[in-house]
Amino acid sequence: MSKNKIKTKKSQVVQDEILDIPEDEIWTYQIEGLAPPKINASYKNKKGAKIAFVLFIVFAIIFSLYFSVRALLNTGTLEYKEIEGKSGEYELIQFSNNGSITEFYVDGIASLNYDTEDAGMLLGEAQAGQNDVVAYDRSKTVTKIHEYAFNCDGTLQKIYISADVTDIDINAFYSCWALQCIYVDENNPNYCDIDGVLYNKDMTEILCYPIDHDRYLRLKEGYAHLDENGVQVSDLVDANGNIIEELWDTKDTNYDEAYFEEYNLKVRTYVIPSTVQKIGPLCFNYANLRYVYLPEGLKEIGTLGFFDAGQINAIYSYKNDEINMETKYTEGMFQTVYPSLPEGLEKIGSDCFTKDRGLTYMYIPSSVTYIGHHAFWDAVYKEGGDLHGISEMNVACDEATFKSGSIGSQWLPKYDYMLFKKNIDVNYSAERMAMPE
Amino acid sequence: MANGIVGKAKGLFTEIKDHWSTPAEGKYVPYKEYLDIWLAVGSNYSGTKVLEYISFAAGCYLIMYHYQLPYVVFSAIALINMPLQKFWDILGMMINDNLGFLPKKKERTLYSVYFFSIILGIFLMVFNFTPYLNPQNAVVAAINSIRGVSAASAIKMLGTHILWNGWAGSRNIFWRKKLVPKFGRYKYFLYCDIVPKCIVVILIGWLPVYNIPDVVTRVWVGNALFALYGLFGFNNCMETCTQNISPNMQERILIRTYPLKLSHILNSLMVLVIPMAIGFLKDEWADINVYKYVIPIIFISFAMLTMVFSTRIKERIPQPPLEKKVQINFWDGIFGVMRNKYRWVLALVGLIDSLGSGMLVFTTVVYLYTFRLSGLTYGLLVSLVSFAGTPPDFFTPFFIKRFSYKQVMIFYYITRAIGYGAVVAAIILCGDNVTLCGTLCVIILILLEITHTIPMAIHHDMEIRINDYQMYLSGERLESFAGIFGWFTGPVTTLIGMIIPILLLKFGFNSNWDVLFVDMSRVKIIVIPLLFEIAGYILMNIPLLFWDYDSVKQNKVIQVLKRRAEVTEKLAAEQEATAQSSVVN
Repeated sequence: MSKNKIKTKKSQVVQDEILDIPEDEIWTYQIEGLAPPKINASYKNKKGAKIAFVLFIVFAIIFSLYFSVRALLNTGTLEYKEIEGKSGEYELIQFSNNGSITEFYVDGIASLNYDTEDAGMLLGEAQAGQNDVVAYDRSKTVTKIHEYAFNCDGTLQKIYISADVTDIDINAFYSCWALQCIYVDENNPNYCDIDGVLYNKDMTEILCYPIDHDRYLRLKEGYAHLDENGVQVSDLVDANGNIIEELWDTKDTNYDEAYFEEYNLKVRTYVIPSTVQKIGPLCFNYANLRYVYLPEGLKEIGTLGFFDAGQINAIYSYKNDEINMETKYTEGMFQTVYPSLPEGLEKIGSDCFTKDRGLTYMYIPSSVTYIGHHAFWDAVYKEGGDLHGISEMNVACDEATFKSGSIGSQWLPKYDYMLFKKNIDVNYSAERMAMPE
Repeated sequence: MANGIVGKAKGLFTEIKDHWSTPAEGKYVPYKEYLDIWLAVGSNYSGTKVLEYISFAAGCYLIMYHYQLPYVVFSAIALINMPLQKFWDILGMMINDNLGFLPKKKERTLYSVYFFSIILGIFLMVFNFTPYLNPQNAVVAAINSIRGVSAASAIKMLGTHILWNGWAGSRNIFWRKKLVPKFGRYKYFLYCDIVPKCIVVILIGWLPVYNIPDVVTRVWVGNALFALYGLFGFNNCMETCTQNISPNMQERILIRTYPLKLSHILNSLMVLVIPMAIGFLKDEWADINVYKYVIPIIFISFAMLTMVFSTRIKERIPQPPLEKKVQINFWDGIFGVMRNKYRWVLALVGLIDSLGSGMLVFTTVVYLYTFRLSGLTYGLLVSLVSFAGTPPDFFTPFFIKRFSYKQVMIFYYITRAIGYGAVVAAIILCGDNVTLCGTLCVIILILLEITHTIPMAIHHDMEIRINDYQMYLSGERLESFAGIFGWFTGPVTTLIGMIIPILLLKFGFNSNWDVLFVDMSRVKIIVIPLLFEIAGYILMNIPLLFWDYDSVKQNKVIQVLKRRAEVTEKLAAEQEATAQSSVVN
């Protein structure tokens, strides 16, 4: 007899098996192979089990509470790790702010200067700017900053990098929303800064334009002042006289277009020095910039280089015979200037201009041979039937030459079309637009 | 062959026609009810899925884009609610597993506790404690330090919790007593909750709580609003009803396989329609109109359809009449569920499953951040993957006949481990090629989905069988008391659940989801938790080896339950007849 037939028979047996359960045994009838029913039975003699159960529940609650509290108050910890094979050298793994630290030195192992077991006392008193809670042991050298070491900090404004730090991960300062400046010791062999913007030492690569650098510039350029406690207070006001931190446009304010333009040039414009050949990954992500000037000689814009810098209205490129190290825009500082990306640029990283909906013109010079995936993702949108943002792509090369390069998938901006997404048009063999007046 | 098919079709037609209103012998459900199941479960399930877009959690688009609450507040709120939660749970277990029918004295005590809680909760929410809280006090200082929370707002949130539980508890007794005899134990709440639920869904989008400038106020008011939203239920209850629709195992599986599975097609359409509708909005998921119009309109439509079609669906658990039902005291419930060996087996499986807790839904990450899908394309792909599991589900009865539950579940866990291993390999080996990697991932996902539905049907039936067995053991299903297994496993899952978030933090995943656009980080954020998940799936086979509850035992259990129902009904009828004759005399 085949195995299947046996199974079928077994199944029929299962269905046919009838139990004979007497009426007075309905609550006590035990099925073979299963535990006996216990209905309305007394559990009075189970004192031990009851106590064990209650104790277990109390333990479970305390345990859960303990770990939850620990997880919740896990702020204000500084984690370092000794670098393997390099005795006495440390890597900053994680900086977790206690809510008070606005300035931090990557210079020796730092610790929070309070009893961590009594976190509540310090945490409760913590106010932004209370930097004396950090103590530094400079006998232990920090030479490296780990990726995401300062991730998503919302309080830290200034970071000081010592001369010993020789290796900073590109993602180290990711999403530091309040970060205004990164200052580097002038004796550092690998890095330097220009007015709080991080570069490599020979100034061939710009590494990090801090997300809140414009706030620093507002103070510097006279759009804000410090109060008696040293706290920055904006001098900008709306039409009703209420203080506004930032001037996004002239709507609902008493400022005119000329004032706004001057403000943009002083605070929201950045000129990248002519020595720079590479814009580092994530360098200008979330930057509040209106205009950016790129030097001719720039070879590469890194991955997510201008990610979500949606306020950028225009990118210009410039060329000077002499080296330009000035990062602040001044009238007539360029010998040649033209719109969009510079001639000589070779690589555009993935997600480089993602979400940059403020841009309206883009020209890919013939020198570009690599474009990363989603390089211009979400840089266009449709509103009222019209396209806004980068609504067409201008490419210097002809189509065949351009496509012979390394072009990442979905590099073009897409907009809603019917029920799908549609690429914007590409103008191959395009001429660069003339510089607007 | 053609004649055979035609003959079978004719036979089926005759069978349906003959038993349209009255079930065949040995069966319990007329075919007319199949139609209701299809429509009611479809609407209910789709409505439930729509509601998944609303939650007071970091993953909700409303919270992410509009409320913009600090990540830490959700942990803080959970902590505030945690100590008292066990107390409410115990009260709830006694009410739920007695179906709201309690001895008068106990009922009065419970009502008193709940009403006192309501008053206390309102007081804590309304009274301003700020002047009485010393900021130098260690506890006050610690709470004040948490972003989005202050000591005063924590008291308000505690008040919300107490008020909510008082209100929910008293409603629980009141409505169960009123509605369970009429509508059964699984869907009764629809009749008292549906209208307020619809109103709160509208309020969630329209009340400008997310515009409150002060984050502390925004947090506690938002918490109160979402608590109100959670007060009124609309879960997938119609499906639970159908899982208990017949004491006949074959019929139960048949219904679960055909009308119920077909009803999910409606949701597959919605998976397509919702992203499409949202794709038309300017800011897509980040557009508040998602919550003002799209979600409420779709949800209310499904809620109405659910109410229309759910009426005729019956639960058919073999049980004594309500007046003869077994009373479950606290210790009866606790020890009752602990005597159920099979609950321990599944609890251990669940415990090991927590190895993957805290990971992001990797499919969402792949769709949204690797593929950058949205609108119709997103909907189509999600539908394609989720639909892949539907056709195999129609073969569930065949697999149930051919293989034991244990075999199927072990196959399920092993295929998950292999499948996720393949995803990890695809991401690591060809992550640079977005198209190839994505295509491989989707193919694996489809294969995983194909091998997902039959084991899930079986897993659900395992749970129903456990409840049947519990009823044999204790006289009641003790579904609420079974929650104590969560208390046992809770501390361990809490501990394990902290591992993956800590790792994700190291890889850059914090409050800013944009980190998922960074290719290297995205890979780590997907791959490392998947490795934990794979380990979990392998280990989950161990407790399953102790599962020996087969169809033979289930058949006998059902016979005992039927016999109990039969005898108690007979006794009740006799008693009623005696009472009537004594009144006449």
